[in-house]
Amino acid sequence: MTLLSLIVQYAISGITAGSIYAIVGICWTVVYLIAQVLNFTTGEFVMLGGMLAWVFLGAGFGLVSAGILATACTVGIAMILERFVVRPIRYPTEMIYMMMTIASASVIKGISLIGFGSETRTIEPFIAAKPIRIFGASLTPQVICVVGVLILVMSGLSLFIHRTVFGKALRASAMNLTGARLVGIDINKFRLFCFGLAGGLGALAGIAITPITFTGYSIGLMTGMKGLVAAIVAGWSMTGTVLAGLALGLLEGFGAGFISTGWKDAFALFIMIVFLILKTIPLSRRLVRKKP
Amino acid sequence: MNRSGRVRPHLPWFILIGAVVLLPVIIPSKYVIGVMFLVGIYGVLAISLGILIGHAGLFSLAQPTWFGVGAYVAGVLAVREITPPWIGIIMGALFVALISYSMGAPLLRLRGHYLACATFGLLIIGEIAFTQLSDITGGNTGLLDIPPLSINGFVFRNVFHYYFLSWALCIGSLWFYSNLIHSRVGRAIRSSHDSETASKSMGINVPRYRLQLFVLTSFVTGLAGGVFCFYLRFAAPSIFSFALLVELILMIIIGGIGSLWGYLLGSLVIIWLGELINVYLGKVLPVMTGEVEAVFFGVLIIFVLIFMPRGLSGWVEQLFRLGKRTYEQVRRNPA
Repeated sequence: MTLLSLIVQYAISGITAGSIYAIVGICWTVVYLIAQVLNFTTGEFVMLGGMLAWVFLGAGFGLVSAGILATACTVGIAMILERFVVRPIRYPTEMIYMMMTIASASVIKGISLIGFGSETRTIEPFIAAKPIRIFGASLTPQVICVVGVLILVMSGLSLFIHRTVFGKALRASAMNLTGARLVGIDINKFRLFCFGLAGGLGALAGIAITPITFTGYSIGLMTGMKGLVAAIVAGWSMTGTVLAGLALGLLEGFGAGFISTGWKDAFALFIMIVFLILKTIPLSRRLVRKKP
Repeated sequence: MNRSGRVRPHLPWFILIGAVVLLPVIIPSKYVIGVMFLVGIYGVLAISLGILIGHAGLFSLAQPTWFGVGAYVAGVLAVREITPPWIGIIMGALFVALISYSMGAPLLRLRGHYLACATFGLLIIGEIAFTQLSDITGGNTGLLDIPPLSINGFVFRNVFHYYFLSWALCIGSLWFYSNLIHSRVGRAIRSSHDSETASKSMGINVPRYRLQLFVLTSFVTGLAGGVFCFYLRFAAPSIFSFALLVELILMIIIGGIGSLWGYLLGSLVIIWLGELINVYLGKVLPVMTGEVEAVFFGVLIIFVLIFMPRGLSGWVEQLFRLGKRTYEQVRRNPA
C-alpha cells in the first residue's frame, strides 16, 4: 500500500467512526439542553441498538423490521429510564443526576452481559456489494450507509426542530427553561421525549455501525465518552457537534494508523481534558493582568 | 459532659478501635478477616472520595486511578527490588500526589459537570495506560509475583497482619479527616461548597484549599493502593476501573453524603453485600464478574437515591433522635 492509499483508508475509517460520534454527541446534547442531565447511558443505547438488532435478526426478522424493533425497544428503555430513574429524585442536583445515570449505565451493561454473553456480535451489512476501490483503499458499502444514516438523522432533526411547532417549543426550552415553562410548555413531557429521542438516535447509530466494528456488551462506555467529547468541544450546539464528531473520528483514524492503536481511545479523552482546561482560561486575562 | 456540650466525644473511637482489635480474637477465621481487610481499605477510599464529593462539592471520579497508580508504583518498585516494599508504598503515594497536583491545578478550575467529565476522562485514560504500558505494568495479564510487605525485617506473612495494617490506615485517615473538617481549613472548604462567591468575598482562597484537599485525598488513596497491592500480591487494570467507581459511589451514598462515619459504614455494608452476592449467585449465574456485581450495586444506588437520599447515617441519626425524644418524654412524665 502506498502512503496515499493508507491516508485514504485511515480517512475512511475516521469518517465512519466520526459519523457515529456525531450522532452520539447529538444524543448527549439533546438531553443536556432540555433536561440539564449528563446522561452517561448514551453509549449504552448504541450498544443496545446493535445487540438488540442482532437478537431480532437471529430470531428470524428481516433487517428492516429488526432495526425498527431494536430502535423501538431502546426508545422504550430510555423513556423508562427518564420516568422511573431520573424524574423521581427528591433533591435533584447535577451530582445526583450523574450518579444516577452512571449507575444506570452499569446496570444496562451488566444485564446485557448476562443476557447476550460476553462475545462480540455482528450483523450482515445492509447492502451486499463488493468494496469500491479508491486510490488503492477499499470503501465498503456499509460506510456509505453509516454516513447516510448521519445525513438522514441530521436533516430529519433540523427539519423537525426548525419547521414544526413541537420543535420550536423544544428550542425555546433549550434556551430558557423557566421562560418556556411560563408560556405553558410542559417540560416533563419534553424531558421524556428527549430521552426517547436520544435512545432512538443512539440505537440507529449502533445498528449502522455493527456490521463494521462489531458490537459487544462493553463498547458503550467508550463510544459514549467520545460522543461526549464531541458535544463538549462543540459547546452543546447541533452543527458544531457533527463537525467536532467528524474531526474527532478523523483524528482518531490517523492517530490509530500512524501512532498507536492501543492508545487510540485515550486521544479523544486527552483532547477533552486539554480543551476543558483551555476553556477555564479567559482570553483577556493575559492582556489585562494586574498585580494579584 | 465536656465543654463543647457533647457527651463523651471520644467514645465512638474507643468502640471502633476495640472492635477492630477484638474481632480477630472473637472470629479467627481467615475469610472473615480477609473481607474485613477489604472493608478497611475500601473505607479509606470511600472516606477520601466522600470528603471530596460531600464536603468540598468536587465531583471527582478519578479516585480508582489514584488507587491504581499507588498500587502499580509500589508493586513495580517491589517486584524489581528497587526499594524496600514499605518505601515503595510511600513513593507510590508521593507519585500519586505529584500527578494529582499537576492535574488538579488546572482541572479544579472547572465546575460541576465539567470537572466530572474531565476526571472521568482521567479514569479511562488511566485504565488504558495500565494496559498499554505493558513493559512496566504487565499489561492485561497484570503485575505478578509482588513480594510480601516487610518493614525493617518484619514480614507481613498472613492476612491478620494486613488486617491490622489496613485498619491502622483506615482509623488514622478517619481521625485525620475528621479533625481536618472541623479545623479552619475544613470550615473554609465546607463554606466554599455552600457558596463559593460568599466564601471568596470573605477572603478565603478557594482554589488553593480545593487543590490542597484534592492532593491530600489522592495521597491517602495512593497509600491505600500500595497496601492493597501487597495484600493481593497482584495488580491488574480491571481492578481499578469503572466498576470500582460505581462501588465507591454506592458506599458513599448508602452511608449518607456528608458523614465521615457513614462512609465507613457504607464500606462495611457494601463489601459484605458483595460477598453475599458472590456466594449465593456464583452458583446460579454462569458469568460472575465484577460487572454482574455492578448490576446489583447500580440498582441499589438508584433505590437509595430515590427512597432514602440521606443514607444509613441519616437513618441512624433519626433513630437516635427518636430514642432521645421518647427517653425525655418518659423521664418528664413517668406515668
